[in-house]
Amino acid sequence: MQAKEFKVKWGMAIDIDKCTGCGACMVACQAENNLSPIEDASNKIKVMNWLVVYELSNKKPFPEHDVAYLPRPCQQCGTPPCVSVCPVIATDKNEEGGIVSQIYPRCIGCRYCMAACPYHARYFNWLDPVWPEGMEKALTPDVSVRPRGVVEKCSFCHHRFMMAKDKAIVEGRDPEALADGEYVTSCTEACPNGAIVFGDLNNPDHQVYELARSKYASRLLERLHADTQVYYISRREWVRRQLDNYLDNEKVKG
Amino acid sequence: MADRHLHPANGNSASSQFGGAAPFFVGLVVALILGWWAFPQMLYSQKHQPVRFSHKVHMEGAGMECSSCHFLREDGSFAGLPTTESCAECHSEPLGSDPEEARFIEEYVNTGKEVEWLVYQKQPDNVFFSHAAHSMNSCNTCHDFTETELCSTCHPNVAETDEAPVYYENKLTKYSKQTMKMWRCEECHAHPEHYGTTRSSNACYVCHK
Amino acid sequence: MAVDRRGFLKFVAGVSAGVMVTPIPWKLLDDASIWTQNWPWIPSNVDGATSYVSTVSKLCPSCVGMKVRLVGDRPVRILPDENHPLSKGGISPLAVAEAQMLYSPARVKRPLKRAADGAYVAISWEEADALLAEKLGAAKGSIACVSGDETGSINEVLSSLAVQAGSGNFYLMPTEAQPAAKALAAMGGKGQLGYDIENSDYVLAIGANVLETWGPVISTRAAYKAARPHGEDPAVQFVFAGPVQNSTAAGADQWVPIKAGTEGVFALGIAHLLIKAGATADAADFSAFKSLAEAYTPAKVAEITGTNADQLKAVAAALLKARTPLVVCGSDFGQGTGAGTVMAGIAVNMLLGGLNRKGGLKLLPVAEPVVSSAMSRAEMMDKDFVSYMSRINAGKEKAPKAMVFYEANPAYALPQATKMSEVLGQVSFKVTFTTFLDETAMLCDLVLPVPMGLERLDDVATPYGYGQALYCLARPVAPMPASVKPAGDYIVALAGKLGCSLGVSSWEEVLQAKAKAMDADWDSLMDGNVFTSDATVSANLSFAADLLAKSVNVKAQEGNFAVAPVFKLGIGTAKTAIPPYNNKLIRRWELQGNELYVAMNGATARKLGVMMHDKIVISNKSGSINARVNIFEGIMNDTITVLMGLGHTAFDQFSKGKGENVMQLLTVGFEAGTGLSVWNMAGVTISKA
Repeated sequence: MQAKEFKVKWGMAIDIDKCTGCGACMVACQAENNLSPIEDASNKIKVMNWLVVYELSNKKPFPEHDVAYLPRPCQQCGTPPCVSVCPVIATDKNEEGGIVSQIYPRCIGCRYCMAACPYHARYFNWLDPVWPEGMEKALTPDVSVRPRGVVEKCSFCHHRFMMAKDKAIVEGRDPEALADGEYVTSCTEACPNGAIVFGDLNNPDHQVYELARSKYASRLLERLHADTQVYYISRREWVRRQLDNYLDNEKVKG
Repeated sequence: MADRHLHPANGNSASSQFGGAAPFFVGLVVALILGWWAFPQMLYSQKHQPVRFSHKVHMEGAGMECSSCHFLREDGSFAGLPTTESCAECHSEPLGSDPEEARFIEEYVNTGKEVEWLVYQKQPDNVFFSHAAHSMNSCNTCHDFTETELCSTCHPNVAETDEAPVYYENKLTKYSKQTMKMWRCEECHAHPEHYGTTRSSNACYVCHK
Repeated sequence: MAVDRRGFLKFVAGVSAGVMVTPIPWKLLDDASIWTQNWPWIPSNVDGATSYVSTVSKLCPSCVGMKVRLVGDRPVRILPDENHPLSKGGISPLAVAEAQMLYSPARVKRPLKRAADGAYVAISWEEADALLAEKLGAAKGSIACVSGDETGSINEVLSSLAVQAGSGNFYLMPTEAQPAAKALAAMGGKGQLGYDIENSDYVLAIGANVLETWGPVISTRAAYKAARPHGEDPAVQFVFAGPVQNSTAAGADQWVPIKAGTEGVFALGIAHLLIKAGATADAADFSAFKSLAEAYTPAKVAEITGTNADQLKAVAAALLKARTPLVVCGSDFGQGTGAGTVMAGIAVNMLLGGLNRKGGLKLLPVAEPVVSSAMSRAEMMDKDFVSYMSRINAGKEKAPKAMVFYEANPAYALPQATKMSEVLGQVSFKVTFTTFLDETAMLCDLVLPVPMGLERLDDVATPYGYGQALYCLARPVAPMPASVKPAGDYIVALAGKLGCSLGVSSWEEVLQAKAKAMDADWDSLMDGNVFTSDATVSANLSFAADLLAKSVNVKAQEGNFAVAPVFKLGIGTAKTAIPPYNNKLIRRWELQGNELYVAMNGATARKLGVMMHDKIVISNKSGSINARVNIFEGIMNDTITVLMGLGHTAFDQFSKGKGENVMQLLTVGFEAGTGLSVWNMAGVTISKA
C-alpha cells in the first residue's frame, strides 16, 4: 500500500534514553483529552490510555540488567492498518499533517481497528466514563467526551493543532506554516526530561526533521512498513533491537 | 339479497371506481398533513430567550458592531456570546427605562449569573468550528460577501430585530431546529471548487473533535 | 360512506405511502441516532475564555512551578511554566493532576467531629471554633504541632503556637531536609544546603533519587534535559548509586548497585580514592578525616556496600576528571536516612573543592523568622518527630494533651505506621487541618477542612536541595468551596485566642513580612514572579570526622533480606494519596486488583524457591505484609522492592485498600553520634504463603 503523502507530516522523536518513566505524560494526556479515571486501574483491559509508558528490559540478569521506558502514543501510520478495516469510515487518514482521525459518533464499536493495530494504540470504551462528583468541572472544552461503545485513540492532541492554526490566522500568518513548537502535544509539553520532540517531519526548520534522520532513530515494528510518524531514538543497541522483532544475528541501524 | 353485492365495483359507474381509490388518497393526504404540518409541531417545542434582547437598539441606538460582542479572541478562539460581566461594562446601572433591562441588571448583573442564551446554531461537542478560518478575509478571496451575508450563511440575521426569533428545540435531540447538519458543511467543504483551492479540506478532523 | 375492510386497507396503504414522502420516518431515524449520541450522564464541553495563571504547587513535594489554564473561572489543566525556575518547562506527574484533585472524592467538605460512637458528624464552624478553643485551652502548655509542609511560612505560625501555648513541640514530617540540616550543623555550617546541579558536569547521586523524588526534582530534570540533546552524547554525566534500578538509574548514564543504607560508606570509599589521588580540603580536621577515610579501601567498601571495587574506582576517577563535579547523598525513597550519609557526601564535595563553587554544593542564606517566638529554620530542622513519637512510646516522654496536625498524615506515612497510630492514640485531643480525609484525620477528634494550594494564598521558601535561595507565592487560582477556611488566617486567629502574641494579625501580613525578610518585592511576587538570589553564606566547614565515623557505621540488619521501598511521585506522597488519574501509572506487576506485587531479581527468587506470581509473606519485628512475586533484574541480590504509596486505609476509591503499606516494615533505629532516627535499612524474613 502506498503511503499518502502530505505537505506537512506531524511526528514525534522520542528519546528513550531520556525517559525515566515518571508518567507525567500519561497524566497530562488524560487531563488534556478528557479521559475518565477508573477505580481499578490494574485491570489493563478496561483501562483507557491514549499514551502508555512501557517498561523495556535488556533481559540480562543482575548486575548486567538495564531498563528503559518507551512512551507509546498512536504511531499515526502512513499506511494505517486500522483505517482500511473500518466498515464505516469512522477513522481515516486524510488531513494535511497526516494525523489519523477517529470520529466517535460515527464509530459503531466493531473493534476491527483494534485487532488491526499492531501497536495496541486503540482503546474501546467498555464502560461509560465516570468522573467523581464535581470533577467534570475540570474537563477541557477542547475534546468531546466519548460514551460507552466506541473506540478512541491518541489524536496527537489534534485540537491543539486547530487552535494553533486559528491563532496563526488571527495574527495574519499562514496557518499551514506553523513554526517549530507552535503546536505540540500535551505529552511533549509535560515531559520534564524533554524526552519528546514534536514537529513537522517534512520541515527542515523543525527539530524533528533532523532527529528522524538520526542514525539512532528507528520506528516501532518498522518492517511492517506501516510508515509510522513516531520515531524512537536510543543510543543503546539493545533498545533499538527491541523496537522490531530482530533475529539474534540480524543487524540493526545505528 | 340480489341488491347486495359483495363487490359493488362491478364496472357499473365511474363514481364507484373513484370511491374505490378514495380511501387511499384520503390516507395519503392525512399522512402528508400529519407529516409536513403536525409532525414538526410535535417534534419541536418553542422556547424564548431568557432575556429580551434587541440587537437593533445596540446596533442603531448605541452604534455598536457585531464584533463588539461577537469577536475573535487573540488566541484565535471565538468569544461567541458575551458574558454577563461584559454586558455589565455598560449595563451596571439601567441606561434606559425598559423594565426588561432593569430585570436583567437585577437578576444577572447584580448576582453575576450568566444568561443561558439559546444558541440557534449550537453544534454538538464532537464538532469543531473555527470562526477564524471562516473569515471575510479567507472567503472573500473569491467571493464578494458582505459581513452580514457571510454570517447569515449559517446564523439568522438578527441585526435589525427588536426581538430574538423563537427558538425551536428538537424534543428528541435537544438541539435547535436550525443546528446545521454535516451536509451543510459539506456544501462548501466537499465542493470541488473549494477543495484544494482553499483550505476547506473535507477531512474528518477538520470539523471534528 | 361506511368504511369497510377494503376501504380501511386502502386508507392504510395511502397513509403508508404518504408517510414515506414526509419527514416522519427519516427525521425520526436521524434524530433517534443523534439522541443516542448524547446521553445525559456523559458530561458535555463547557466553553469559555482561556486564561493562564502562574503559581507554584503546594501539593507536590517538588514545589514545581506551574501555569494553570482556566476556562472561564474553572481550572482545567496544570501546565508547565517555562519562566518558573522550579518548572523550566516541565511538570511533575503529581502536580499535573492537581486541577482534578480539587474535586477529589476524598476532600473534606465541612468540619467533622468524632462522636462518642466513633462516627464522624458534620458540625458548623462555630461549633468547631468553640470545641477547639475549649480543648486547646484546657491543653495549654502541652500542645504539640506537626506540619507536613516543609517550605511554607505556616510553620512559623504553628511553631510559635507550639512554643507559646505548648511546650515547644513543633515538628515537621520527616523528609530528607532534616538529616541534611543536621549534617550541615554538625560540620559547623550555617544556612541551607543547595546543590547547583544546573551548572555541574558530573552528578553523582548516592542514594538520592534525583530524577524522581529528591528535592526540587523538576528543576533537576530540567538540568538533565538541557544537558542531553536527543541521541547525542550527553554533556553532563549522571551516575546513580542505590539498591534498585529506579527512575534515576534509568535516566542515569551509569547505575552502581549498592545496598540500601550504605550510601555513607560508598561516599567514604570515594573520599578514600580521592585523597589517595591527592585531593585535600582546607579544613582544620582534614587529617582526622584522612585517617578515617584511610580505612575505607575499595575492597572494604565493596564488601559493605555490595558494589564492585572497579566500578567504585571508575566513578572516583571520573569525578577527578570532571570540571564541576557534584555529589548528592540522600535516601532513594526520600526519607529515613541519617545525617552521616549527608555528611559523607558533603565531605566528598569538600575534597572536590565544590563548596560554594559554580556547579557545586552551596550554602544558602535562610531568612530569620517573621513571627514572634517562631522557631528558626535550623531549630525546626533539629526537631525529630519520629524520635519524639518513639520517646512517647517508650514512656520516656509524656504524650501531649493535644496535637495539632497541619497537612500531615503521620498515621500512614511514618515508619512502623501501625505503632505510630497507637502512640497517637495516647494523645487525648487531636485536631487536623487537612484537605483530604486521610488516615490521620480518621484518628482525630476534630477535622477542619482547608483549601488546596490552588485555592489559597501560600508561599514556598527555598525547597531543600535547590541551588539558589528562592521565594515565591502560591496564589489562589480557583474559588474556595464555601465550607473550608484558609488555615493561615485561621491559625493566626486561633493562636491569638490562646493568648499567643505572634506580632502579626493576618496570614497575608506573615507572607508580606516573609517576602521582606527574603528581600523579595511583594507586588512582583503577587504577579507570579519568583524571587531568587545567588547569595551564599560562608562555608568554613569541618569534617566532623569523629561524628562521621560513628554515624556511617552500618548496623547488622534483621533477617536475610533487605527491603528497598520505591518512591514514585506520581503514585502519591506522604500527604497525598493516589490522585484519581494516577492509578493508571501503577504497572501491571506492581498491583493486580488489590493484591500487592513486590519485585526481586532471579537469583533472589531462586534462593527463596519462588517464581513469578507466587504468594509470599514478608515480615520483621515491626510488621508483616502479604504479596506476590514479580521478577525484575534491576535489583540487588537479597533485596525486595516494594512500591510506596499503596495500602491506604482512608482517602477514596482510587487509593483505599490497594496493596499494602511498606512503611509497616521500616523499623526505626537511631544513628550513633547524632541520635537521629533512621529507617533506611529494613531487614526482613520471607516465607512462602
